[in-house]
Amino acid sequence: MHKLILPLAWRLFLEDARMVNHRVLQATQTLLMVFIVTLTLTSESVQKHLEHNMANLLGADAVVTHTGALSADEFDYLQHTSSALIYTESLKTTLTHADKWQRVTLKAVDESYPLQGQVQISKSQSAVAFSAETAPNPGEIWLDSRLATGLEVAVNDRLIIAGIPLLISHIVHHEPDRLMEGHNVDMRALVHRHDFMQMGFTDDTIQYRYLLNADKPQIDQLLRWQQNQLPSAEVRHRQGSHPLALFWQRTENFMGLASVILLFMAAIAIYQISQIQIRKEQHFTAVCMSVGASRFEGLKVSIYKWLLNIAVLFPVVLAIATLCHWTIVDWLSATLHNLTWQPNFATAALAFSAGALILAVFQLPVWLSLQNASVKQLVLNFPNHQRAIVSLASAIAVLLVVTAIYSDNGLLTIMVLGSMVVCVALIALVSWLSLTLGEKLTQRYSGLIPFATFMMRQRMLSKSTQIMGVGLCAFLLLFTLMLLRDLGNTMHNYQRQHDGNLFVSHANSEQMHAVDAWALEQGGQMRQRKPFMYAKLIRVNQQSLEEFATRPSESLATLKRSIRMHWTDAVPTNNHVINGQWWDSEPQYWQQISVEQEVMTDIGLSMGDELIFMVGEQAVEFTIVASHAYKPGGGSITFWVQMPNTAIKYLSAPHYFMASIETNEDSFETLGELWQQHPTIKNGIYARNDGAI
Amino acid sequence: MSSHSNSKIELHKVGQSFVTNQHSVSLFSDLSFSIEQGRSYAITGPSGSGKSSLLMLASGLEQPFSGEVVYSYNGQIQPISHIRSEIGFIFQQFHLLPEFDALNNVALPLKLRGDKQALAIAKEWLEKVGLGHRLKHKPAQLSGGEQQRVAIARALVFNPKFIFADEPTGNLDAQSAGEIADLLFACCRDKGAGLVLVTHSDYLAQQAQQQLRFNAGECQWLSTELGSKCHA
Repeated sequence: MHKLILPLAWRLFLEDARMVNHRVLQATQTLLMVFIVTLTLTSESVQKHLEHNMANLLGADAVVTHTGALSADEFDYLQHTSSALIYTESLKTTLTHADKWQRVTLKAVDESYPLQGQVQISKSQSAVAFSAETAPNPGEIWLDSRLATGLEVAVNDRLIIAGIPLLISHIVHHEPDRLMEGHNVDMRALVHRHDFMQMGFTDDTIQYRYLLNADKPQIDQLLRWQQNQLPSAEVRHRQGSHPLALFWQRTENFMGLASVILLFMAAIAIYQISQIQIRKEQHFTAVCMSVGASRFEGLKVSIYKWLLNIAVLFPVVLAIATLCHWTIVDWLSATLHNLTWQPNFATAALAFSAGALILAVFQLPVWLSLQNASVKQLVLNFPNHQRAIVSLASAIAVLLVVTAIYSDNGLLTIMVLGSMVVCVALIALVSWLSLTLGEKLTQRYSGLIPFATFMMRQRMLSKSTQIMGVGLCAFLLLFTLMLLRDLGNTMHNYQRQHDGNLFVSHANSEQMHAVDAWALEQGGQMRQRKPFMYAKLIRVNQQSLEEFATRPSESLATLKRSIRMHWTDAVPTNNHVINGQWWDSEPQYWQQISVEQEVMTDIGLSMGDELIFMVGEQAVEFTIVASHAYKPGGGSITFWVQMPNTAIKYLSAPHYFMASIETNEDSFETLGELWQQHPTIKNGIYARNDGAI
Repeated sequence: MSSHSNSKIELHKVGQSFVTNQHSVSLFSDLSFSIEQGRSYAITGPSGSGKSSLLMLASGLEQPFSGEVVYSYNGQIQPISHIRSEIGFIFQQFHLLPEFDALNNVALPLKLRGDKQALAIAKEWLEKVGLGHRLKHKPAQLSGGEQQRVAIARALVFNPKFIFADEPTGNLDAQSAGEIADLLFACCRDKGAGLVLVTHSDYLAQQAQQQLRFNAGECQWLSTELGSKCHA
């Protein structure tokens, strides 16, 4: 390219920019680009937030748990199969202070902890938590809030464990690898590995947890290795993404599909303007050819002019999209706590480039039309018309590509696009009918109205595109508003509607009354309240559990301990019956149960199997009459085994409750009083923080 | 520049016809003549007689129905497409670019060729055609005669070997037409460009060295300096 083409293109661009149709074109392009860039930026912010949230929930990509330390070779293998590796040691012990004692999980870490996420600590129980920068120093211990309450100690008090004096330096609120420990709700204490080693626990009592950063192939390799080489170990891994990430991905795809409306409108506007552009560009190229230049020079000028237009759009789009991004993130942060706005130039530029590619396809008919530019048209003084099929093909190509990119669900795609097609067809039909009826009804009167309706009907094609433009604008506006409202409500409901922000995992009747009173006092609302009693499965079809279930599984391991048995006559709202028949209200035959489907599969249970549970001091026989599964949307408290209400008349065992409450977060500060009044609540109340329980 | 040159466009037995209502209408046939650089040619005749078609054939914009059009330089025959960059056009409707002022309209051919002196040369040409005081005026601010002067400057600013003009005075009043005709011939003469023009104006045609007239289905050379033959 010689240097003068660019100034020439710039001059033409500036002249074009003064024209009304070009401004309309630029406005359309800007709108389209702002939508694409904003959607991409917002999506990335949410995905990053959820990724971070996931890291805080899980603390690692995979965790290998083993009683006793792994051998040097095994440790080397883990290092080889991961991109990062740390380990923690823990054991259950009893901590005492004065006349108080509590069973705790004592965990030893070093400076490398945590691998992912952040440990949240505070300087006192009522203080605001912050992210820890290091592990506990040697000579220090961090206690969780309930443990501190249970032992009646505070920060700066001292505890002695196995003869080692330790200063309570912080209250620990959140450990990122807690969920991977299997949702246990033990009271917790963290010490430095150096102190832990001096306590002299024997290795076979210590549980070692190796936390790894690993990708999917590495995790797969790890799982195979563990099954073959280290069956005594247990591997947990994250298996994909955060559930909300998938939810957001679907939302993004839906918004992307909705953008087809915007593209459709843009296609109409750009098509109309491109007819003027084609005449202009053809004329320019023909003039260039009339002074000895080639057709290619005309094309080059046209392309440079378009590129200049894109370059001018970029800062404008970036500024508007950044503002929109900030606004949306600010709005979403009410639902997704700690979601913060951060500028991302690279992502914006990438999204803008993708948008520019779409605009280039829309511009293609203009460039292709230059093939027909000729000096002859200047001599004969007629324009060369471009076939509309090229413009139509370009628009359809763009719509198909966008649909393909954002489509992850055939049914959803068909529903969204189908509703749009119906909408467009309705707009066209209503327009045509209105004009026809208008003409018929006003025929008998003279004047401009029948003439105007007649003329509009004659020019139906061009008028209908204008009518559709206006109609689709209104549709898009309403659609976007409704979509944003629904999206906000759905996301909010997902997190809060059923579970609230306070979780009671275990409380007896008296404690539950106290919780009720506290909630009432704080203006909280009870979201769920489910009674249960402890029961231990001892025999299945006249066989012991060990004899019956030979295949090791997490369900089997859990069933070897006492489990929580719920009673209800109605199928819980967060369950649905997979198999069998749920009992009627107050059935005469009370010895029937429903077992969770996954447990049935793991243990190898079938409908009609007879199970004997130890409930309190009684051995009670139940028959499986149904199996149920968890159904999202009705709260997260669910039970593996459920029985009819009438059964509790025949069972003698303490009743407990699980519950969830939605309450003002300011009321969390008064939780300490509740704990102080009821220190025997074993695994009492958890405030939800960032979705981590 | 000398009026003698070895560059010429040769038409060998060219014929042109078009089909309308399933009837073939012949405009002319077996037309042979040469257009030499540095000489002027006028094509006259009534509307629809084939003047503009002949202009387009001679400039290589259209392919003849029969015969061939070639470019000859020092006796070497080349396709007419080889001198596309050496041909300038002047139109009845001027076809200036409305978004550019007079100076930039004239500078366009030079800019497309990457000439850094484009604006300076364009200014000289505008002064030569008497528009030195209208450099920054856009076409809409110029009269028809002034626009055609700009178009002549634009067509000649890159020193083409041949200029093809289609009724260059067709949209002008008599006085402007006379001035434009004088200017056009003078400029082509000065720059040694071959000039082929289609016109209804006898005054304009008479200034050409060769005049080809289409009339009632026939064409004839009114001056036969070159001894060319014509059949229509």
